Amino acid sequence: MSTLDFVGLGVLGLFIILLVLSTALLRRHPPVFRPIPSYQSLGTAIQRAVEAGERVHLSLGTGSVIGSDSAPAFAGLAVLKHMAASTSMSDRPPVVSAGDGAMAILASDSLRSVYEGLGAGDRFDPNSARMLAPTPFSYAAGLPTVLGTEDISVHMLIGSFGAEGALAADFGERRHLFVLGGTDDVQAQALLYVAAEHPLIGEEVFAGGAYLDGAPLHRASLTTQDWVRMLVVIAIVVGALLRTFGVGL
Amino acid sequence: VKLGAYLIWAAFAVASGVIVLLGYFVRLEPFISLRLMLMRWAVLLAAAALVIGLINLLSVHLTKVSEQEPGWPYSAVLILLFSLTLALGLFFGPDNRVVLFLFNNLQLPVESSLMALLAITLTIAGFRLVARRRDVISLTFAITALLVIIGTSPWPLASDSQVHVGMTYLRTWIAQVWAAGGARGILLGVALGAITTGLRVLMAADRPYGE
Repeated sequence: MSTLDFVGLGVLGLFIILLVLSTALLRRHPPVFRPIPSYQSLGTAIQRAVEAGERVHLSLGTGSVIGSDSAPAFAGLAVLKHMAASTSMSDRPPVVSAGDGAMAILASDSLRSVYEGLGAGDRFDPNSARMLAPTPFSYAAGLPTVLGTEDISVHMLIGSFGAEGALAADFGERRHLFVLGGTDDVQAQALLYVAAEHPLIGEEVFAGGAYLDGAPLHRASLTTQDWVRMLVVIAIVVGALLRTFGVGL
Repeated sequence: VKLGAYLIWAAFAVASGVIVLLGYFVRLEPFISLRLMLMRWAVLLAAAALVIGLINLLSVHLTKVSEQEPGWPYSAVLILLFSLTLALGLFFGPDNRVVLFLFNNLQLPVESSLMALLAITLTIAGFRLVARRRDVISLTFAITALLVIIGTSPWPLASDSQVHVGMTYLRTWIAQVWAAGGARGILLGVALGAITTGLRVLMAADRPYGE
């Protein structure tokens, strides 16, 4: 094992320790997070959709389960559970689309488990979660038909997107839908900031579970991120100062 | 029974995740071999999932056509071309002349057109942004984008002038100092978010594979 391997394992271990620690601490002292306007508006938009008998669409992007770009789609699946629970009273189930077959299966499984958990297993429609197309732009090309023909009023993009994310958001904006968009790619985030009415910037895409669901481990993971961020900032400042004063690292 | 099944899936997922993760850090033979084997299984399963995804896609569109739902003609075209491409690919192979013709003359031009459409879409979205979100951040975003476009695009007139040289320097300064600095901050946040998301799955707190 090289020094870098030890450092990597150390960072991972630190993350796990802080995550467990913050989960235990936050039970007694619940954290207060800054408001994220996009998530605040999302709750209201989903309620309106349920009341109006319209559907909610979640796009998990074009990333694959086994790729390095799977993390935002997993964050999207956490939002999906909240979304499915919120819309379970509606007779119009939510629609989930993905560019990857495995991600579509996971989305379908998540929907099924939420419905079964709520005792509404008969409402689960296997066609609610679907694979649209395997390549980024063919996936974007498939979205207007979904948005235009399935009575959708809330269009969420939480997953891995490249430039096609801007098109995907714009298709929703043209139909005057509630459009929320977040991804892990920095350039795509800039495009979504322009194209989507409710953009998610930086790590906000991973905060959906904590803001919408309020599950203890989701909230603890946000606190852990803040703690580790502070450690990284301190390390960067100390490193910059040491360099400035000619101390080699 | 439900509790038992959930525990089995969770145990398998956690064990596989831990082995693959440790395989990246611990350079010992059993870990490396196990990691490679699990990764190969994952690739095979992903390929099988693609087939299931395609069957699901076909099922969705067949339902739309059979129930004459809104937009069913699009679904009919999709089913027709899907079946045609699949049959050609299965019988003559993916490198067949007709399959390549379909790919090069249908798929590629449509995707390239969408890419080209992106420039128009973003211009319109830029105007919409300024009209809809009138705050300091949006205004800064729009002005910065405009300066970068002016500094990057070729000038038909006065391309040798000091103003053009100044705009080019300004563009470089914005891109290499402000944008790069900001992007690193965002990347740091994204990396931390991705790690905690992965750890939640690894600790079976998030179970996307069902309950």
